[in-house]
Amino acid sequence: MTSPRRAAAGHPWAPQPRALAAWTAACLLLALGTSNPAYRGLVLIAGLALLVRRRRPGQPLRPLLAAVLVAGVFAAALNLLLAHLGDHVLIRLPDWLPGLGGRLTLEALGFGLNAGLALAAAVLAVAPFSLVLEPHEVVDALPRGLERTGAALGAALNLLPGLSRSYQAVAEAQALRGWRRRGPGSWAEVMVPVLLTAVEGSLQLAEAMEARAFGSGRRTHFGARPWPAADVGTVATAAAAAGLFLAGSLAGLLQPWYPYPSLELPALDPFGLAAGLLLLVPALWPSPA
Amino acid sequence: MAVASLSRLGYSYPGAPEPALDGVDLVLEPGLTVLAGPSGAGKSTLLRVFNGLVPHFHGGRLWGSARVAGLAVAQTPTRELARQVGFVFQDPEAQFVYGLVEREVAFGLENLGLPAPEMTRRVEEALAAAGAGHLRGRAVATLSGGERQRVALASALALRPPLLALDEPTSQLDREGAEAILEACLRLAGEGHAVIVSEHRLDRLLPAAGRLLLADAGRVRAVEPGRLPHPPAVVELGRRLGWQPLPLTVEEARARRPELRPPSSPPYPPRVRGGEIAWSLRGVAVAPGPQPLLEAVELAGAAGECVVLVGPNGGGKTTLLRLLAGVLKAAAGRVQQRPGRRAYLPQDPTALLHLPSVREEVELTLRRAGERESADRVLASLGLQAVAGRYPRDLSTGERQRAALAAVLAGRPALALLDEPTRGMDGGARRALAGLVAGLKAGGTAVVLATHDSELAAAVGDRVVEVGGGGVRELGPPERALSDGSLYATQIGRLYPGGPVTVDGVLARL
Repeated sequence: MTSPRRAAAGHPWAPQPRALAAWTAACLLLALGTSNPAYRGLVLIAGLALLVRRRRPGQPLRPLLAAVLVAGVFAAALNLLLAHLGDHVLIRLPDWLPGLGGRLTLEALGFGLNAGLALAAAVLAVAPFSLVLEPHEVVDALPRGLERTGAALGAALNLLPGLSRSYQAVAEAQALRGWRRRGPGSWAEVMVPVLLTAVEGSLQLAEAMEARAFGSGRRTHFGARPWPAADVGTVATAAAAAGLFLAGSLAGLLQPWYPYPSLELPALDPFGLAAGLLLLVPALWPSPA
Repeated sequence: MAVASLSRLGYSYPGAPEPALDGVDLVLEPGLTVLAGPSGAGKSTLLRVFNGLVPHFHGGRLWGSARVAGLAVAQTPTRELARQVGFVFQDPEAQFVYGLVEREVAFGLENLGLPAPEMTRRVEEALAAAGAGHLRGRAVATLSGGERQRVALASALALRPPLLALDEPTSQLDREGAEAILEACLRLAGEGHAVIVSEHRLDRLLPAAGRLLLADAGRVRAVEPGRLPHPPAVVELGRRLGWQPLPLTVEEARARRPELRPPSSPPYPPRVRGGEIAWSLRGVAVAPGPQPLLEAVELAGAAGECVVLVGPNGGGKTTLLRLLAGVLKAAAGRVQQRPGRRAYLPQDPTALLHLPSVREEVELTLRRAGERESADRVLASLGLQAVAGRYPRDLSTGERQRAALAAVLAGRPALALLDEPTRGMDGGARRALAGLVAGLKAGGTAVVLATHDSELAAAVGDRVVEVGGGGVRELGPPERALSDGSLYATQIGRLYPGGPVTVDGVLARL
């Protein structure tokens, strides 16, 4: 089930970029095509499960989750402070506070949390393109017209780890030369060398690519991966999830969720639940031995 | 049969006042050609002429004639010349496009539009030729520097070029990595490839070189090994003793080595006698990752003493230096230092440079340290006065390295921590560095130096300490630690087991 090259490099099986694109499209359809938090929650779980089980070794998940959490909390807080709608009052802010004054309601908090949930689900649906796939796998899957741009982009992505190491080394060495953090201006002594080094690194890489015939003409691909059953299954389940969701929506079975004027639990429907559960499938394939 | 020919070739970089190459006449044939010379002499520029990066990528003005495999360089774009010339750059980090080894090797083949089965054959063949067949399925990020450079060599070979150009391919590598890449070069030259290598570490290449070229101020000429400004130690010894012909290997020198007087007593006199303890590590453990890298470390150094750290890559040398620099905390034990400034030279010190001139970089350090000393002393000791007013990042690699050294080591630090300071340095710069370290020691600075360069360790070290296997091990003074039988032996150390380890050490006992 695993590409032999991926397995040899110590990477877990991951969907083909095009199979992953089908899965991502289905996730986005569910996350953004409904206001029902239950279905959005299923997408969030599916995205999280895929990242936990299939991300490349050494790819940290914590920074992404922290960013998603902050964005979700921010969306919820913003709506709570600004909406002032709904029956269940949590607290009342003084009216003289411009924009914020008035009642803060449970409904506004629920609406905000749901918006944050949609945002988080959408981000986790797209994140596997950077955390699960190798940059070259994405490049290989680009349409012909974009392949040269894609190769350059893939190469640029490879520079990022070096940039991080360079920052640490320069910051340490400059600190021992007497550099101290004294406001934004003081950062120039660290950031300028790091950026200059990054620019030089990019030029060296461009030179190395040129020296290896980059831009000669139409490129071919060494790593064309076969389509094993897992990838076919990923596409099939993504298509089935999207189909069920669209069918349920068109039949009027999938009810939207709107918390105003009084908060209620979202209505659930077998079509929507089945669609959401199908998105978990790529994370559940057995891992290779 | 000539693979490449240059006739009255000259080249100027855009806006440069002087030409980087001038009047170069050269014919390259199959076999190994070694290109030596100081930093900034035009070696990298010359190699880039063969595949057209000069002038097509760098711009500037090219004159005279340059032909490679029958193609005129000035009229042929680099992407076409890439089929004829494989190129390996200095820095293994900076030349990779993909994250997987076999994809990386196939990159050039993809650019040529070859069908997948042909690519598979060529990737296997190139990896085997570069001694990297076992790395095929690995992720590039998991490779050592030497392994990366072998993959870079395979990437160049995959295009099956008649000419292979390597620009200081071992300058960033430890001894083991350098050995592997030079072995591969020698094998390829022996199989009939035309291989030209620009290199500062000549001890392994010289015996196999079909031709030795010396670049100097933009001019290139064929020379005998004895005419090199900074030859390997056995050549230098033969030259100083007037041997003819000069030995190129330790084995050749062994037959003619003169008897030495007995050493002054004691056999290994301590170079520093019980100075004030400047730093110490007592029962120290360090765990930069989930597992402890070093445990129960007991080590100390005196004022005016240079302790040299040797050992394999990843063994903990850099970690130990960072611990002493105070940028890493010990998980257990005590780190103590006498008061005073710490100067720390990281592995890539050129990354520090950001001011408009070399002099300003040095003055910044002195100002920050509150020292009134003039920048001229350190600039002069590293031979940088001529370029003191220039933008550091416009200098050649070696000059830039010296500028960074000057910027870090200016003044009178109490403790100087140097991490691989000779990476990419030519012989002259290494000699200047040895002089600078000697000056620091004389001024009472405690020096801790991590290096793979045994010749430098022999020149400046008072004690050698091996770091690796989770701890440290005292190997003793250089005369013992760098002698025959040691993994870190110098050429002279191998020539005189148990005796001196430098040319000067031999001459002193004649």
